[in-house]
Amino acid sequence: MKIFKKLTVTALTAVLAVTASFAGIAAAADNLSGKITVNGSTALLPLTLQAAKEFQKLHPKVKIAASGKGSVTGPQAVKKGIADIGACDWDASVDVPGFKAFDGQVANKVAVIPFATIVNKNVGVDNLTTEQLKGIYSGKITNWKEVGGSDADIVVITRAFGSGTRVNYQAKALAGGDIVKKEKNYKETGSSGDMKTAVGTTPNAIGYIDLVYVTGSDIKAVKFNGIAATTDNVINGSYKIWAYGYYMTKGQPTGATKEFIEYVQSKKFQQGSLKKLKFIPISAMQS
Amino acid sequence: MGAPVHGLTSREQNSLEKVQVDSKRHQRHLLGNTISRYYFLFSILALCLVLGLVIVFIGKTALLLFANISPLDFFFSFNWTPEEDFFGAAAFILNTLSLTALTLVIAVPISVGMAVLCAEIAPKWMKSFIRPVLDLLVGIPSIVYGYLGLTVLLPFLRRVSGEGLGDGLLAAALVLALMVLPTICRISDDAIVSVPRKYRDAAYALGSTRIQVIMRIVLPAASRGIISAVILGMTRAIGETMAVVMVIGNTPQLAKSLFSPTSVLTSNIVMQISNVEFDSTWNYALHMMAFLLLLISFVLILIIRLLGRKRRDA
Repeated sequence: MKIFKKLTVTALTAVLAVTASFAGIAAAADNLSGKITVNGSTALLPLTLQAAKEFQKLHPKVKIAASGKGSVTGPQAVKKGIADIGACDWDASVDVPGFKAFDGQVANKVAVIPFATIVNKNVGVDNLTTEQLKGIYSGKITNWKEVGGSDADIVVITRAFGSGTRVNYQAKALAGGDIVKKEKNYKETGSSGDMKTAVGTTPNAIGYIDLVYVTGSDIKAVKFNGIAATTDNVINGSYKIWAYGYYMTKGQPTGATKEFIEYVQSKKFQQGSLKKLKFIPISAMQS
Repeated sequence: MGAPVHGLTSREQNSLEKVQVDSKRHQRHLLGNTISRYYFLFSILALCLVLGLVIVFIGKTALLLFANISPLDFFFSFNWTPEEDFFGAAAFILNTLSLTALTLVIAVPISVGMAVLCAEIAPKWMKSFIRPVLDLLVGIPSIVYGYLGLTVLLPFLRRVSGEGLGDGLLAAALVLALMVLPTICRISDDAIVSVPRKYRDAAYALGSTRIQVIMRIVLPAASRGIISAVILGMTRAIGETMAVVMVIGNTPQLAKSLFSPTSVLTSNIVMQISNVEFDSTWNYALHMMAFLLLLISFVLILIIRLLGRKRRDA
């Protein structure tokens, strides 16, 4: 019986506390309040979290919940009404290879995401051309010596079909070329983190990843057609493997969602925190 | 308590009050019992409801698959290329079965051996060391095993085999064997300990050696318990995802050798489910694979139940 009494007391206290906090929110109403749910791309998640933190400081009554799972979950969650914003590494309002357009959704550009080809630290090659990359991923080139390295089999590591990174890498680095699964020396990973670990621990491995993730001494980014993968080279237009990151919304955004997207697109955020996170401001590409 | 009843001594008065107090306490206990009974009943029903919902929802989504793909294609085709509308899951089903078999081939002899050691041979201090260690091993999250497999086991296998990648059935089976080992060992241990002492005494009285007692008397007597331990280990091996996905390579193809990168039901589901549109054949196919896993686990648990019943009848 004591336990029941205790449980009742605890439950009542909890209910009171929750009611009080809601009442508190309602009482101190200011111009902007609401709840924004963001779902989708893991590549954009650090950006969303940082923006949410800053936005909530400005508007304490707006609650932002963000989670990342994979690019296509973004527009899907918006379609199902689970999320207000779907973060996606490609413009999901038009058809892309493998995915049909999501009707009625608006793509709001929020950032530029550069991607890099990475290899294990033991690989001697530091430059690859589009043709060489196409050969490697389509299975025509299987040994590093064919592209100027030492005599060793190339281990191809790739992301699963439907990953936003893969969609963009295929379009930009492989010029639409295929990624062909092979009997041996071919592995698929589920996330950017797994990709980094796999390439870092497998000798003779090649993979691709957001430039943001290229850190540490186990992996190195190789040049693409002679151009180094740096944010500067993306901005001056010489490095081609990059894509816009989008916030998908059902129709034009309204209310708190609109304010939030505008905050992310604002000069203050784009030139400040976004740059610090090693994304590139969208304004840099429009010049 | 109560008004004084006329004509009773003070002692009788006291005992009457005591009875009244007792009966109140008794009623309180009855109420408590009733409430907790309903509470437990409610908990069980809620659990059954959730389980039923899981089966219904997964099954419902899974069966939508056969509106688009024939069951023959799904179960017997080896071509899994969902982006081109080929949904053959035969390779995954066979890989899952061979991975489980390989895991058991590695894990069962070792773990039953350890169980015999624990129950029959080891001195007390060793038992009190091995058992808690095994219990701790069960508690380690599977992703930790997977990460160790990826960073420690794979480089080792690469050196030993000379392969470029090292991923494949062998790596996955080794990781899984380590994971199911404590489960099988501890349950077999219990089964062996519960074999009555008189069996052993009788065998020794007939002049058997210790090995003969263990091999001819104790293990056969504990065999049902050991089989259910193996099946429990098997359910864990079949359903395990996170550790497997990190060391198996995730290439949807039939495993032709121990080192060819491949994929099993669980790893394929977890790799693809987040990148697939909700209402697509692809999504239904993944649900069908999940439903298949659910059915396999059910069948295995049913087998354990049947074995348990037979043991009680015997």
